[in-house]
Amino acid sequence: MAELSAQASQPAANTRKRAMSENLFGWLLVAPAMFFIAVIVAWPLAETIRLSFMDAGLGGEEFIGLENYQDLADSRKFHQTVIRTFYWMFLSVGIKLIMGLIGATLLNAAIPGRALFRVLVMPPWVIPVAIGCIGWLWLYNGYFGVLSGVMMKLGITDGPFEFLAYKSSAFYSAVVTDVWVGTPMVTLFFLAAMQGVSRDLYEAAWVDGAGRWYRFRRITIPQIMPVIVSMALLSAIFTFNSFEIIWILTEGGPRSATTTLIIDTYKVAIGNYKFGEGAARAVVIVVLLAVFSLIYLFFLNKINKRYGAK
Amino acid sequence: MATLNLNAINKSFGSAKVLHDISLAIEDKEFVVFVGPSGCGKSTLLRIIAGLEESTSGSIHIGDEDVSDAAPVDRGISMVFQSYALYPHLSVYENIAFPLRVQKMPKDELEERVQRAAGILQLTEKLDLKPGQLSGGQRQRVAIGRSIVRNPKVFLFDEPLSNLDAALRGDMRVELSQLHRQLDATMVYVTHDQVEAMTMADRIVVLNGGKVEQFGTPMELYHHPATKFVAGFIGQPNMNFVPATVLETTGALTVELDGGHKMSLPVDTSGVRKGDTVEVGIRPEHVTLGDDGLDVTVNVLERLGGISITYGTIGNGTRFCASLSGDAPIHQGKNMRLTVAPEDCHVFQSNGNVLRRKSAPALVA
Repeated sequence: MAELSAQASQPAANTRKRAMSENLFGWLLVAPAMFFIAVIVAWPLAETIRLSFMDAGLGGEEFIGLENYQDLADSRKFHQTVIRTFYWMFLSVGIKLIMGLIGATLLNAAIPGRALFRVLVMPPWVIPVAIGCIGWLWLYNGYFGVLSGVMMKLGITDGPFEFLAYKSSAFYSAVVTDVWVGTPMVTLFFLAAMQGVSRDLYEAAWVDGAGRWYRFRRITIPQIMPVIVSMALLSAIFTFNSFEIIWILTEGGPRSATTTLIIDTYKVAIGNYKFGEGAARAVVIVVLLAVFSLIYLFFLNKINKRYGAK
Repeated sequence: MATLNLNAINKSFGSAKVLHDISLAIEDKEFVVFVGPSGCGKSTLLRIIAGLEESTSGSIHIGDEDVSDAAPVDRGISMVFQSYALYPHLSVYENIAFPLRVQKMPKDELEERVQRAAGILQLTEKLDLKPGQLSGGQRQRVAIGRSIVRNPKVFLFDEPLSNLDAALRGDMRVELSQLHRQLDATMVYVTHDQVEAMTMADRIVVLNGGKVEQFGTPMELYHHPATKFVAGFIGQPNMNFVPATVLETTGALTVELDGGHKMSLPVDTSGVRKGDTVEVGIRPEHVTLGDDGLDVTVNVLERLGGISITYGTIGNGTRFCASLSGDAPIHQGKNMRLTVAPEDCHVFQSNGNVLRRKSAPALVA
């Protein structure tokens, strides 16, 4: 009897052993990635959180608890920066999505030279952002810029107009440049999604009398909705954290008109060496983006359920 | 009245001509099947009727109306696609209601029409589901439902059963035939499957290389194929074609088949001369085991129970298929003798045209 049970437990022990070694093998496979995540993401994040409770500068660190956060909560300027950042994000992403939809629809239409247009869409995305922005700096220049020149010729302005010198024109100019940089990616993703929509669906709708707009609204949009939602989230995060465009164009000015959270954080932490206050701002950004992403994922899930059910 | 008349339809894609002078007169309430091999132009022809494709020349009349230049929706047709083309994000109800929503039909009437279509197609229980939650056959029915609600004059079907498995296809064939009777509408159906064509059609259009080979009832095509192509396409298993030399043309046509067997065939002999090479078409189901006749070597024997199908060769390697009784005393690798009644034979000239048979079974409707 004992012999029998020993025999029976032998394979079980083998299975357990194999499971163990498979487990170990799995951990070995993910170990390099885990290591890099720890070094590149986890440790800096932990360090940032730690710093945010400190009065930290070039002179040293001192624990001050929640004072940095208290200061942010009390600062009207910071509140304005948060509101400005969300306005910047929603405006820019909204325009990118709409332009992306229009662009993708045009590029998806059977027009002659379509392949050429598809290539022409790419440069803003392919050119390094810094170089593109320097081009825009010239465009916005009052004395040498083509925009100001055209406006003068048309009699819209009397003299040279410095786009980046006034609060609201600087803000919207930065939005335009950000849209210019960000639209190609959105367009290409939408185009790819549109090409995945079966031609039969359009033909069936056409036979049933649906016009172009109706087909776009009732077929194209729902069919690519998961991609629209994903792109909106990605684009929102990129735009929220967009740094180099604003920095090159205006450095956050004039009079903070283009200062978003990320610019503000950089100015405080790196510009003024107030590492503790900067860290607190960075943590606020992480929390805001995390909350935003969670809400977003909730909707994405709903939309995928609604539109993506296969 | 929804007759469908095609007059000299031509279609070219660039330099490639895919349809040549197609003229057909389809009667009201008729079920017509376009059948042919891949690339014969049958789907293109259907798409031209639907208005999804423009013909290069020719005109289309539905009823008394010339619809050649009309938009699809103004032609009074509806179409069922091979892929079903259901909107995955809409429920079954909304899929069926789609054409009516486009028309902005009042709610009550829309509801009534969708419910009626769902009733006919046994989809009432499924109206809230999404297409992804349905089986292939049910999706097919939703696609048909969407075409029914518009009360079209002509229904167009583009290979609607080709995505279904064999058993379901058989069921759907029956359902479609019943639906045709129930709706009493003109239907045009495209398929590459000759069984679907034979079982469902009132009349069949056999297309080959963009031309109409023959337009007739299933039994007309079976008993009186106009060309070798039609003869080979219609009937399962396919007709055998045995090369033969003409020995005599007075009265009946006397030929010597590949393998030396001589036969005197009751066909119209005008246009053939002594010494010509022709092909004798013999259907596998028209041969019987005998003591003399065609000498066939059996290479493969398939016993299906009720019948046995043999694949073999005669003469100089001409392939020959025979459909015999289930327990016919034959063996793989052995020879057998097959007899065939002369009046069951078809004779084709080298250009593929048939020599008219003088005696053939009376056609059944």
